[in-house]
Amino acid sequence: VVDTRQLDQTYHFILETFVATGQAPHYVEIARRFGVAPDEGRRMLADIMSAGLPCWMAPDSDLIASFAPFNNQPTLYRVTVDGERKWFAQCGLEAMAMTWMFPGRTMQVDSLCLDCGEEIRVRIRDGVIEETAPESACLYFNIPYRKWRDNLPFS
Amino acid sequence: MNLFRSEEHVRNWSQFDPGTEDGIISVADGMRIMSTARHRERLNGHYVSSMRDYVSPYFQRVAQVTRNSPFWAPPS
Repeated sequence: VVDTRQLDQTYHFILETFVATGQAPHYVEIARRFGVAPDEGRRMLADIMSAGLPCWMAPDSDLIASFAPFNNQPTLYRVTVDGERKWFAQCGLEAMAMTWMFPGRTMQVDSLCLDCGEEIRVRIRDGVIEETAPESACLYFNIPYRKWRDNLPFS
Repeated sequence: MNLFRSEEHVRNWSQFDPGTEDGIISVADGMRIMSTARHRERLNGHYVSSMRDYVSPYFQRVAQVTRNSPFWAPPS
C-alpha cells in the first residue's frame, strides 16, 4: 500500500527542487531529503511517477524526464523569472500553468512558432496575462483531448 | 500542445490537421483552462491526496472555455 502522505511529500519536494534549480532531483536526493536509503528513494520516485500525474521518466532509466508543469530537458518553452532563465515548461499549455509555481512574480515564456520560427512571448503574473507578443498568438492541439494520455510525451 | 504566432500560422503548419480546428484556442483561454485548483494548487503540500477533488472543476472549465466541443471531451 502506497503511503498517500509520502506521495504528497515526494511530489512537493520534486516541484520545490524544480522551482529552486530548474532541474529534477535524482532519486538519491529524494532519499537524502527524507532520511532514507537510496533504494527507498528510488521506490518513492517510482511510486509518485505511477500516481496518475502528467509526468514520465526518461526511457530505460530512473531519471525524471518531465514533471508537469516542468520539463527536465529543453523544450520550446523557456521560462524566465526575475531575470533568471533556467526553466523549461512541459508544453505550451503547461507553460501557462508555470505562473502558479512563482506566486507574486512575473513569469515570461519565450517560444518559437513551429510554422515560421519567429519569436513568441507571453508574460504572466499570478494567472493574469500581462503581455502576449504577438497579440495574435494562440495554442494548438492536433490530438483530441481524450487521446492525450495515449502518448503523453508526444501530446 | 504548442504556441503559434497566429491562427494563420497554425493552418499553414505542415502538421496541421484540417479536422482539428477546435484544437486552436487563444492564449487567454489557455490561461483560463490552467487556472482551476488542478493547476493552481500544485504547491499546496497535499496535492496528490487532494487531486481527485480538482478533476471535476477542471473539466467543467475545459467544457466552458471550449463550448463543449467534442474535441475537448475528457477520456471516458
